[in-house]
Amino acid sequence: MSFLTLTNIQKSFGQTQVVKNFNMNIEKGEFVSFLGPSGCGKTTVLRMIAGFETPTGGTLTINGKDQRALKPNQRNIGMVFQAYALFPNMTVHDNVAFGMKVAGAPKPEIDKRVKEMLGLIKLDHLADRFPYQMSGGQQQRVALARALAVKPQVLLLDEPLSALDAKIRVSLREEIRQIQQSLGITTVFVTHDQEEALSISDRIVVMNGGKADQIGTPFEIYNTPATRFVASFVGTLNLIEAKVIDPDSNRIQIGDQGVTLKQSVQTYKAGDTVQLALRPEAGSLAEGTQSDTALTGEVVSAHFLGSVIRTRMNVGGNVISFDMFNSPGVTPPAAGETVTLRFMAADLLVIRD
Amino acid sequence: MKAQKLGAWIAIAIGATYFIVPLLGTIEFSLRMRRDAYSFDAYQSVFSDISFRETFSYSMMMAALTIVFGMLLVVPTAYWVRLRLPQMRQVVEFITLLPLVIPAIVIVFGYIQMYKSSSYLPLTGSTTGTNILLMFSYITLSLPYMYRAVDTAMRAIDVRTLTEAAESLGASWTTIMFKCIFPNVMSGVLSGAFITLAIVMGEFTMAALLGRPAFGPYLQRVGANQAYEPSALAVIAFSITWLSMGLLNLVSRFGKARPARV
Repeated sequence: MSFLTLTNIQKSFGQTQVVKNFNMNIEKGEFVSFLGPSGCGKTTVLRMIAGFETPTGGTLTINGKDQRALKPNQRNIGMVFQAYALFPNMTVHDNVAFGMKVAGAPKPEIDKRVKEMLGLIKLDHLADRFPYQMSGGQQQRVALARALAVKPQVLLLDEPLSALDAKIRVSLREEIRQIQQSLGITTVFVTHDQEEALSISDRIVVMNGGKADQIGTPFEIYNTPATRFVASFVGTLNLIEAKVIDPDSNRIQIGDQGVTLKQSVQTYKAGDTVQLALRPEAGSLAEGTQSDTALTGEVVSAHFLGSVIRTRMNVGGNVISFDMFNSPGVTPPAAGETVTLRFMAADLLVIRD
Repeated sequence: MKAQKLGAWIAIAIGATYFIVPLLGTIEFSLRMRRDAYSFDAYQSVFSDISFRETFSYSMMMAALTIVFGMLLVVPTAYWVRLRLPQMRQVVEFITLLPLVIPAIVIVFGYIQMYKSSSYLPLTGSTTGTNILLMFSYITLSLPYMYRAVDTAMRAIDVRTLTEAAESLGASWTTIMFKCIFPNVMSGVLSGAFITLAIVMGEFTMAALLGRPAFGPYLQRVGANQAYEPSALAVIAFSITWLSMGLLNLVSRFGKARPARV
């Protein structure tokens, strides 16, 4: 049985249903990210796990115990907020000690645990500082230590990196992952940043319109998106419109060029329109590239992005972007030039809405 | 530009004269009790008067109780409105403003009618009951200032997130209120407290009509029967108000020097 289970969870605010039959099983020690745009319901699900919102329907259990009747202060859940939420009147030491003091732990035990937690986040030298004397990154690390100090059964992270600058964000997310793995704590992380989710999660739940569109490992989510929304939200993706020629042999046509897909299109009829997805990094112009499929088109533009050159080409009315690694020997194709894009047919995915 | 500046200075000078001249006159008059020489005789007379000490102590005690019970009422109310009942905000603000538009004499007559000896809650039937009633009357009078001071301080902190953070760490409602919210709105609490102190020390109507030995009625009594002492008392009352204002400023500055960032 899974450690944290959400079964048919629903939540409505008045007439608006913000979470629709959400199902999820999270194993002990797993790091799961809820990824999605603003308003998709990811924070609402997190707040229902924390107890700050009451589900309109469905069940929620942690370690087999139904949580619905428990108040937030009875659930033993650690939470880190986007706005840090450190108590401004308390020092770092007192902030971290707060949960244990509330639980009535003896002072020597509290001091030992606080020291241990501050050591974990490498801020033991700042124990006597007040929150306003620290940077945003430091405050968020203290908030993490405070949440972990009470040995919660689940750690919830509500966009904890959103208020930080890019460099701190990267280093802190790696730190969070490393701490999570060393403690083996079950963690739910809410973010709208796909790179964050892809880089630190065991599994990702891509949410859209109050439901989970796809649940999978970062690799699965990126490489085999289940829906058009997942494909467009995670990474950059070319969406190509094609016509089914022969469903039995998976033969389709893009513009006037025929392609045989690896994926089945047998549910379609000949003449149906089908949506295909191709990642920009899947194709190459180089002749020696390992490939079994090619598309020829006219270059629309080529943009230098530093490490890569992103080229856009027109194939039968579909504008397809693809990336080439930058090197001094590579000359970007010129607009109007006819080029051939080579790729593996397996990379061309059939997308359902 | 220069003419504008001159006009501003003239306006300030007129304002200052209007305020300072009577005050200087009062101070000067309070020092003239002894014939042909300035002295503090009037002050000495006031301080040696047992009634002064009794009424002053009584009002100070009432002010302290008003502040404590007022804050116990106002802080949780402001917190609750902010956290759970934002739609009630306008209603609560309207209620807290009522003491400014309803004269104190109307309020106190209402109280006397409601809590007279023959009523279900005969507070005016005993000294303790009347003291309690007077304290609640003072809370009513200071409500517009107290509520706003606390609400403004609460606006500076993210009450909701702090509450949720404390809840997730296992804190109960009382722990959240006294360990996480009260200390972070202390500047507002103290501002409200000083304003309340100033109001209670000078209040006449409610104390006089409830027949309690407060400082306000004492001021009136002395003013009606003596010459120099009322001026000395006026200066003392002014000093208390200024001290309160000074402390309020100090607290505000202290609060600004240490912003509550969340």
